[in-house]
Amino acid sequence: MNIICVVKIVPDVDSFAYDYEHNTLIRENIRMILNPDDACALACALKVKARRSDCSIEVLSMGPESVRPHMEDLLRLDTDRGTIISDPVYRGSDTYVTSRILTRYLSTRSFDVLFTGSHALDGDTSHVPAQLGEELGLDQMSGITSVDLEHFDTRRAVFDVEYESSVVTWEMALPGILSLDRESGYKLPYVKYEDFQKDVSGKVTVVGNRELGFAPEEVGSRGSLTEVVRTYTQSFETRERNIVQNDEEGIEAVFNFLLEKGLLVK
Amino acid sequence: MKRTLIFQDTEQIEHSIDLLAVAEKMYGEESFESYAFVTDSIDSSGNSVGPLSGFFQKIIHVGRQVVEPNDQIGICAVLAQLQKEYQFDSILVPATPFGRMVAPRLAKRLHTGIVADITDIRRQNGSVEIIRPAYSGRLMAAIVSRGSGPVMMSVRPGVFKYTGRGGVETELSEYTTPPETRSSLKTLEVKKKQIFYDIRESKVLISGGGGVLRGFSGLQRLADALHGRVAASRKIVDKGIAPRSIQVGQSGRTVSPRLYIALGINGAIQHVEGMKNIESIISVNTNRNAPICSLSDIVVEGDAMEFVDKLTDRIEAFRSEAHAEQGAQQ
Amino acid sequence: MNSETILEEVRKLLTPEQVNTDRETLYDASADRYKKYAKARGVLDVPMPLAIVYPNSTEEVSRLLQFCNENRINVIPRAGKTATEGGLENWKEQTLVIDALNLNKIIKIDPYNMQATVQAGVALQELEEELRKEGCTTGHSPQSKPVAKLGGLVATRSIGQLSTLYGGIEDMVVGLECVFPDGHISRIKNVSRRAGGPDIRHIAIGNEGTLCYITEVTVKCFRFYPENNRFYGYLVKDVESGIKVLREVMVNGFRPSVARTYSEEDAAQHFYHFHKNKCVLLFMAEGPEGIVDATCRAIEAAAEKFKDGIIEQVDSKYIEDWFNNLNWSQQDIDDEYEGMKEHDSHAGFTTEISADWETIPKIYNSVINRVREEYPRAHDLTMLGGHSSHSYINGTNMYFVYNYDIHCAPEDEMRVYHHPLQKLIVEETLKFGGSMCHHHGIGKFRSEWTKDEHGSAYYMLEKLKEAFDPNGIMNFGTIFPQEEGRKYLT
Repeated sequence: MNIICVVKIVPDVDSFAYDYEHNTLIRENIRMILNPDDACALACALKVKARRSDCSIEVLSMGPESVRPHMEDLLRLDTDRGTIISDPVYRGSDTYVTSRILTRYLSTRSFDVLFTGSHALDGDTSHVPAQLGEELGLDQMSGITSVDLEHFDTRRAVFDVEYESSVVTWEMALPGILSLDRESGYKLPYVKYEDFQKDVSGKVTVVGNRELGFAPEEVGSRGSLTEVVRTYTQSFETRERNIVQNDEEGIEAVFNFLLEKGLLVK
Repeated sequence: MKRTLIFQDTEQIEHSIDLLAVAEKMYGEESFESYAFVTDSIDSSGNSVGPLSGFFQKIIHVGRQVVEPNDQIGICAVLAQLQKEYQFDSILVPATPFGRMVAPRLAKRLHTGIVADITDIRRQNGSVEIIRPAYSGRLMAAIVSRGSGPVMMSVRPGVFKYTGRGGVETELSEYTTPPETRSSLKTLEVKKKQIFYDIRESKVLISGGGGVLRGFSGLQRLADALHGRVAASRKIVDKGIAPRSIQVGQSGRTVSPRLYIALGINGAIQHVEGMKNIESIISVNTNRNAPICSLSDIVVEGDAMEFVDKLTDRIEAFRSEAHAEQGAQQ
Repeated sequence: MNSETILEEVRKLLTPEQVNTDRETLYDASADRYKKYAKARGVLDVPMPLAIVYPNSTEEVSRLLQFCNENRINVIPRAGKTATEGGLENWKEQTLVIDALNLNKIIKIDPYNMQATVQAGVALQELEEELRKEGCTTGHSPQSKPVAKLGGLVATRSIGQLSTLYGGIEDMVVGLECVFPDGHISRIKNVSRRAGGPDIRHIAIGNEGTLCYITEVTVKCFRFYPENNRFYGYLVKDVESGIKVLREVMVNGFRPSVARTYSEEDAAQHFYHFHKNKCVLLFMAEGPEGIVDATCRAIEAAAEKFKDGIIEQVDSKYIEDWFNNLNWSQQDIDDEYEGMKEHDSHAGFTTEISADWETIPKIYNSVINRVREEYPRAHDLTMLGGHSSHSYINGTNMYFVYNYDIHCAPEDEMRVYHHPLQKLIVEETLKFGGSMCHHHGIGKFRSEWTKDEHGSAYYMLEKLKEAFDPNGIMNFGTIFPQEEGRKYLT
């Protein structure tokens, strides 16, 4: 069984600092981490692998070359190869373009199942897994909270998705795309102490546009169908901090605030 | 005249109407034709078209015999066919779990861009800017759609409110061409969730700290009034007044509700660590300089328990008013 | 002597009720806060002590030590249990922990002579509360005040948050009683000052249980003037700018009780509600009114003199609120423990060093750079910063604070994260001529550098050990490096 885990190294949004002078978030030099949902996806894939002798896992990530140390950490676990799709011309790609680029690479690989996360900390569009499904003609399911490891083979997967008021057990024919939610609680195993410095660079392949062959205008921000025209903060730190007293006027202010925010359903 | 297609809200069908507010913000009032797309309800509990009648010019319904309501691939194919027929200018999808899987898939099929989980629309220099939070809400992004296809977006539930009164003449149309491709997904079992009280899943949290040591159980009243849950700071949990499972903070749970009311909570960093991406924070504290106050939209200076009583009374009065109004209309 | 016999003998020496062999308690006693995470995860790699014993008197301590000395049984003296550097960790198969639990009497409060005498197991908080009734304070206020006990505080050369005014514990101890491994009991008398040869109090103060067991101490007390407390807070450009202001106040002869500079990263942890990503400089002045007034004027003048480095003054209310919520309690410790069971992280670690005024910023910058450049897991660090919190006329300290996500097995945490970071800090500090151990003691995990810390003066320490503890039964592995203990290092 061949598993490909599509993961993303994202900025740790909790480490964002705020630049008061320019009213922006400081996005330089911030810590990068493996997206938490994606960590669950890989952890789940490792559980599948642990039960089968014929299983291999490839970790696939698109991003700048600087994701390499993170990829190497994942290759110190029981994974078999790592692929980083990286090329300056891909910078600024939206989800439409990203799923196209990933698809072009994936169509050169044979796999039985793709594991991905459901949500990403940074963009959190959840578009890429669904759009990979469309491009590859596969089923895809988001929000998976548990995978039935007993009934997992190359033909089908059985898993649970938790909704607001119910838990639904689904069956999907494979190949297909399983997108895990961090509530699944699958945890990556620890890297063994002896393996911390292990040289795994030989297991990493970097794939660029030379291999994938897109025209420059098809990819990156040029090729994207959506464009972020500006960003602004709605920051934690700059709340209005409207101080009221605990009297009729104050209660009315709170009440109206709740009303405005749509928090008072009749 | 612009045409907009609104995909049904798969959780609560009547919420589909609220997406008309999005179209209004894009095109202005009454300058667009509204279409709704409705399937049979997933749990086959009757006709779901009814509540939308009178709000949309046209409702396109597709029955279970044509496509299963939870078949993303089949529904995507049907929608693509409809796009060919009607040439919609925009397709709006409520960001329910199902909507968030169908929308990007459809965008891909239509070769158009899509914006996820939007919270606002702004018109700026003649173009429509679609607003959405990114980086767990730390940053807001204004996005424009550049493709030639319809403008597509998924819309965060509960953010937009449509205030129109309806009364539109609605044409009902039945879609009958079965799609060529279908999903392999099968539902094996549906379990109702036991009422599991997880503060991480609550949209409204009424959280108590050292200032409400006495009277903590009274918070439930306000939580009920706001359809929320009660949470606690470590001080409360340490005293054995509340279980650890409802503790917010570094050694407890991390929560991201839409509303967090902090009652008598000082707001040490260990507590605030557990508050992530909260839309609105109201704090009630006798000390207006307590750290938590600087994170709050509103600071109520005073006794927290007193506040709970007063605000609950106010909300209950509002509800019974609203109730009386409804009764009078019928 | 086998372990069973030892326990039997000890039960005879004391009473069976004074000997605790409860498994869970012994597990807890195997390590201190240095290995808090591994402990919480149940993966400690060190042996458990045979028992924790609770002597009721100095004489019982004497009999216990004599017994252990004759039978070569390792002893870990303990009181309060808030050690952070491995001082209470056990490295021997046969160890007795002698806990001062029952040495819990306040012997005398003497407001006329401004001194108080207590047994080793009296909690600092308890003494403080008694003194407050007399309008006095110990002046000693470490963060661990609600938990720490006098015996432990004196044995580790503890320092409090108000030390810049009141001094460290070594400035407060008037006299004490201690017991040596051979059973000898020494009492150092309480006088205001004397020139009677070397000050032998310092053989006991800070011995970390490696030379003797402290059973009783007499400390000074001070008049308490809480109504005069005044606070100052500033946002400053960088650590160096803050330290310049601290120095100015100190060298002009003033002694605020609190005088601190926080790096931006560290400030974010404590002052997130006002720090605006800047470094924070803060002061508290306390004492008699006239002195407080003069100190405040000196602080204002120093801030004025170095105003180029100051961005803005902050509302002193914030500083006062911070000060009033400073200490952690047993509940905090328990809570952190519960948290560590669930999460792959904890509240972080610290390494505290000291040096003279001109050297401190050099060490700080050098450490931060080296960590960023050399430390292989730098990408797991969630914070790295520090603060200066104890100032003297000739220098100050630096409290390096760091936290990280733990991406290794719990038992590997120290060797993957804390220890390499601490090593970098210690190396830089020693290179620049500072001290690697400002106030947490050497414990076991800095003992590999004890000789570098003391240089040629290590000779004096070594001779003390040979003289007082020739059989090496006192807290094996602490302060004095031990080859056999290396397996527990990294």
